[in-house]
Amino acid sequence: MTADKEKRRAISREAARRRRRVESDVFGDLSRLLPLQPSVRTHLDKPSVIRLALSYIRIHKVLKGNAGTKAEASHTVKHGQGMESGEERREYGGGRGEKEKETEDLEASEETDMYLRTLEGFLMVLSTEGDMIFLSDNVCKYMGLTQTELMGHNIFEFTHPCDHEEIRNNLRLSAGEVWCGGKRDFVMRIKSALTHRGRSANLKSATWKVLHCQGRAKVCVAPSSVSCLLLTCQTLPLSHTLLSTHTFTSQHSMDMRFTYCEQRVTLLLGYSPEELLGRSIYGLCHTLDTSCLTKNHLNLCFKSQSVSGQYRMLVKGGGYVWVESHSAVIPGGRPRPGAHQPLCILCVTYVLSGVEEPFLQLSLDQTAHRYWS
Amino acid sequence: MSARNSTAGGADRAGGEQAEDVLVEDNHCSSMSLPSPMTPSSVAGMSLSMEMTRKRKGSMDNQDTKSASIPDADMEDDQNGTDGEDQHVKIKCFREPHSQIEKRRRDKMNTLIDKLSAMIPTCNPMSRKLDKLTVLRMAVQHLKSLKGSGGSFSEASYKPSFLPDEELKHLVLKAADGFLFVVGCDRGKIVFVSESVTKILNYSRAELIGQSLFDYIHPKDMGKVKEQLSASELYPRERLIDAKTGLQVQADLPVGAARLCSGARRSFFCRMKYNKISVKVEKEFQASTSKKKESQKYCTVHCTGYMRSWPTSHLGEEGEGEADKQDSSHFSCLVAVGRVHSHSSPQVNGEVQVKPTVFITRYAMDGKFTFVDQRATTILGYLPQELLGTSCYEYFHQDDLPHLADRHRKVLRCKEKIETSCYKFKTKHGSFVTLQSQWFSFVNPWTKDVEYIVSTNTVISHDHSQTSRSGNKSEQSSNSKTSEEDGKKSLPIIPGIVAMPGNMIYAGSIGTQIANELLDFNRMNSSPSSGNVSPFSLPQDKCPQTHNQISNNVPNGEATDMEIPGKSSSEDEPQGAAFSGGESLMEENSQLDLDSVVGPGLSGLSNDEAAMAVIMSLLETDTNLGEAVDFEEMHWSL
Repeated sequence: MTADKEKRRAISREAARRRRRVESDVFGDLSRLLPLQPSVRTHLDKPSVIRLALSYIRIHKVLKGNAGTKAEASHTVKHGQGMESGEERREYGGGRGEKEKETEDLEASEETDMYLRTLEGFLMVLSTEGDMIFLSDNVCKYMGLTQTELMGHNIFEFTHPCDHEEIRNNLRLSAGEVWCGGKRDFVMRIKSALTHRGRSANLKSATWKVLHCQGRAKVCVAPSSVSCLLLTCQTLPLSHTLLSTHTFTSQHSMDMRFTYCEQRVTLLLGYSPEELLGRSIYGLCHTLDTSCLTKNHLNLCFKSQSVSGQYRMLVKGGGYVWVESHSAVIPGGRPRPGAHQPLCILCVTYVLSGVEEPFLQLSLDQTAHRYWS
Repeated sequence: MSARNSTAGGADRAGGEQAEDVLVEDNHCSSMSLPSPMTPSSVAGMSLSMEMTRKRKGSMDNQDTKSASIPDADMEDDQNGTDGEDQHVKIKCFREPHSQIEKRRRDKMNTLIDKLSAMIPTCNPMSRKLDKLTVLRMAVQHLKSLKGSGGSFSEASYKPSFLPDEELKHLVLKAADGFLFVVGCDRGKIVFVSESVTKILNYSRAELIGQSLFDYIHPKDMGKVKEQLSASELYPRERLIDAKTGLQVQADLPVGAARLCSGARRSFFCRMKYNKISVKVEKEFQASTSKKKESQKYCTVHCTGYMRSWPTSHLGEEGEGEADKQDSSHFSCLVAVGRVHSHSSPQVNGEVQVKPTVFITRYAMDGKFTFVDQRATTILGYLPQELLGTSCYEYFHQDDLPHLADRHRKVLRCKEKIETSCYKFKTKHGSFVTLQSQWFSFVNPWTKDVEYIVSTNTVISHDHSQTSRSGNKSEQSSNSKTSEEDGKKSLPIIPGIVAMPGNMIYAGSIGTQIANELLDFNRMNSSPSSGNVSPFSLPQDKCPQTHNQISNNVPNGEATDMEIPGKSSSEDEPQGAAFSGGESLMEENSQLDLDSVVGPGLSGLSNDEAAMAVIMSLLETDTNLGEAVDFEEMHWSL
């Protein structure tokens, strides 16, 4: 009996081995069809192969949903007649020389590289469930992880849990957005495996990196296509940017009261820095912009960086200017033993317009100067 | 079984051995830590750990993380930090949930296969579920067909990528709503601009290339743009922000050199011309003559980029014009992306055709006007400065004083939006307009102090004569018999308000008394010591209303009416993106504050603790100011 059992076991083991070999072969075939560097390809495990194959298929679906028919002529794109991107796509088809195609591709490649580099960001295509269908390959510069390692995974695995709700809200496509792609603009924290020197490290020591995501929702109604979110994700560097005369920097305590302001503000808004100390920014701005400022403030409190969008700051004596503030929370001062490190908010405010309605006094403070200037 | 599984695990890789990093799978707010791959001390140990790492890396599924985290948590605790230590313990831990690991691995693979079959057209019509191998084979076929239809994956030409670059470019431009441009520093000549400029500024590429950028910039912004482009001695001060201190620094470099050095970043906003004329009718366009300001539209463009310097020998025709003026070997330019912000409020050029029906005001806690929107003038007749500093009660009709005082009390005590009934507001000319307002206390998100009360006022009807009644929605105050404005009849009795001689004084003092009521109430009920004092509140404040601390724990004296929130009147509301569970400020329910975002737990903490919690979360974030921030060396000179 035992001999029989042994024999059967041997047969089944052999069969299993054969099955596994066949399976491995098919996986190998699949992986060779993926556009990967050979060195990357050999290191992929089976689930990764499927994950990347899925991404490949999905991104092509997204693009197909974009396109017209394959017979779309290319000349319409060349003249950039401002058509909707649905018609802008052109398919590679027969009839065009290889060389010409290559040159165009090369140009496109350079332009895209330049674009992403200038923007200091990477491209992310998200499915409505949050799967990162596609990432441009410069993502490793920002996250320390390569395109291959990340594509196909879900964004919720890589972002700060406290930001998940907001991300989910952004992934939702409303009925109205089906016809005019909804715009998206939000800040989130993502894992970054980069060391301070810019090297890729193990995710064990990953930190959170703040990204400003902007883009739009893309809804494809065709049955073969998918809906997704197209986003450019940028970091928000504040330093080493040449500031123009129409900007001023300021510092605030965490409740957004001024603790410091650059002298330049006098030229732009009329207040002296001393007048601003201790004042809350909420009192200095147009009431209609309260929600914009609140959102900015909360972004700062929880994500440490924010871009405010455009709002109005009241000018001393009357009128207002449109501004936009880029802010970040930075630790200030030496940490004292036992106490937490004090934080403050650093703002760079760009003035976008001239003084509008200079004779209109909207707030009580603007009238006050009559009495004590 | 386990032996077979482990060898199966070993053979299960598609390629060779892997040396990939372990990806973290952690759903907690706390800092992440995962063991680095162990040095194997036994085959079983190694393959099992590899199993775990591969599983994490390869096949993470969102739904599965919860189930995954439970057995893993045990392992994480044991393996934190040390490599190679306590291998025995680790192996033991592995063996226990091993069948679970296996199950998870199989489930993950099955899920992936299912997803794959859902994506492949040929798999879909099949009614029965296909086996793994068949799905994989069909996937291979499908990918082959995709490649055949025109991918540019010919490894011969350049590196393979998931998307042909043309497609990538389109995706990027679509996402970014921006255009790339390159302008020479010397005269602002547009050397290059991407096609997407057409969608944004409505000028074609051909119209722009070769032109001067300054022809397309708002006259008032030209100085700003010149400054960003040039090395002129007019702007000798280099203003940069130092990442370490957050303060501005003067660059030590000689004037001009730093500005133009390659890689130096630029970021600025400018107003650019927007072509209203359809692009097809090109002959109507004239660059220099169509500068009529009334008809010229501008949009605010955010330009970010960097300086770049090219040797002129590398350039084609574009460089020639510049070469004469420039240093003979280099052509300096700005490479930038211009983007129009989606949520930029449209700049209204004062073309208000319809008489506005809504305006916004801000009150101090005691009801004095501290902000009046300019639309109020058309409706009320007063200029904002005539109202500022006066009490709103001076303008309310007598009959409405009781209910408005009541609402005033309510709004100071609760976070919700309060609707008033219709009431009459005295205009400059002596007549009344009927308004209906929505009030809420705007609270500083950090300190929870009330900054002011925001009032959104809707006109119900204009210019009522003195004897007409209020609109349908008004409450019939039991006190109001007549609505004659000039009759000095007996003043309506408002609970809690001490009547004082003189109508105007009385009206003004209502608000003050209500505010004082609240102060007293809070003083009696305030929680002890550091509870109410924000770490940052200053004793002396320019805005009188912020002396008050409204503790979240104060119970409402009266039953709070949960009014139906009115329509939002803010035109500038951000679209689409809601924020962390709370809606935008102008909508119902919670004001955005720490509570709604972080969780109800925070409201029970004192401000110090709340501050600590936020700080902890912030310190984990790598604030990307552009450079390494060395916390140790930071000094603060304030």
